[in-house]
Amino acid sequence: MKRFIRSLYTIVLAGVVPLVMWRCEMAGSADVGPGATGVGGSMARFAITDNTLYIVTHNSLDVYDISSPSAPTRKGKAELGMGIETIFPYQKNLFVGANDGMYIFDSRQPQSPVLLSKYRHVMSCDPVVVQGSFAYVTLRGGAACRQWNNMSSLDVVDVSNPANPQLLNTQPLETPYGLGVDGNKLFVCEGEKGLKVFDITNPAVPTQTQFLTNVPSYDVIPNKNTLIVTGKNGLYQYRYDSQTTGTSLELLSKIPVE
Amino acid sequence: MKIPFYSLLLVLGLAACNTAMDEAPPGPQFDGMAYRPIYATAQEQKDIKSLPARPLRNPGKIYLLGSFLFINEMGSGVHIINNSDPSHPENLAFVSIPGNYDIAVKGQWLYADNGTDLVVFDISDPTKVQIAKRVEKAIPLSKYPPFQNTYFECVDDTKGVVVGWEKVAMSVRPNCYR
Repeated sequence: MKRFIRSLYTIVLAGVVPLVMWRCEMAGSADVGPGATGVGGSMARFAITDNTLYIVTHNSLDVYDISSPSAPTRKGKAELGMGIETIFPYQKNLFVGANDGMYIFDSRQPQSPVLLSKYRHVMSCDPVVVQGSFAYVTLRGGAACRQWNNMSSLDVVDVSNPANPQLLNTQPLETPYGLGVDGNKLFVCEGEKGLKVFDITNPAVPTQTQFLTNVPSYDVIPNKNTLIVTGKNGLYQYRYDSQTTGTSLELLSKIPVE
Repeated sequence: MKIPFYSLLLVLGLAACNTAMDEAPPGPQFDGMAYRPIYATAQEQKDIKSLPARPLRNPGKIYLLGSFLFINEMGSGVHIINNSDPSHPENLAFVSIPGNYDIAVKGQWLYADNGTDLVVFDISDPTKVQIAKRVEKAIPLSKYPPFQNTYFECVDDTKGVVVGWEKVAMSVRPNCYR
């Protein structure tokens, strides 16, 4: 009996100690300070930079001041066309994906974003990610408005002058959803078809290096050489190397769906 | 009388488009499956719960903050994962939020859509998440499911707030598609 109690005690302690440590970690860890903001995937309609929360509804960009985090106050609203889908903040700009194009805002005054340009493309759905002066946009065809053009594509757009974006390259895709970029790697979710990895050593010309057809994918976050992928089979995490070319992904873990 | 001739052509052209839309929609092929809106009353929409961890079913968008990973369960809430070791992610808790698809986090504060409302949660204890603030009617009602190339039952605002979509077999092709 004594032994039983002792082992029970050990089990409880083993359970509680990591929990306590983890709570401390949450409060004190360097990368999760009280005001730290995180990173979303490319499909996001919500984005936070410092004291500003951006929400894209299907027809507007709404700006909230969250300097008092538990009391968001609406600071502004930019009415946009219909079919707004995603927002991606990058440095001093906001990139908003819509059914008929990509809006680029100047966000140097975070709570009064200024529309700089709209890069128009054929009707589709188009999350966007940005690295350096290159924006990567996936266009998913097959929407009702595109019966004459069922093509999906990956477009590379030069945004070095955000007021005048220029198409650099386009290549066909199958059924793209979210995408993510880090260093030399570009990851593209192809829905039920799988997950594609592109080498972007030449940032203007993505070259496909890997196609995981057994990983249905909807959205990705590449972060510090760990790739987080969600899809209908669950959540997958991979190790990658953002600096080298052509190396393959190494599976770290999977949380399957029930 | 030259102008009316061209006007007539234009009208005929538009009429042809309309007819084409009505009889043979340029939408996807109907395979017997379509999405149906899940309606909630104002009361049901606000029924938010902090619950123990539960398995993923329809994982949607993701959000990463330090060692914490947030996974949206499409239309129903947020899984909170301790991801300090990506080789061994630990499912910590679930926040049940009707009509939730989007999330963002700052420090201990989680921002989430709850149907048409924006809700701020204090997640300093992920197993006992507290509502800190609700901004009513912050997000216009979504009229379509978060999927493309599919048919769905058109939204009827009189039935309540759409908090989700379910894919069901339908004997008749519904009128809406995207």
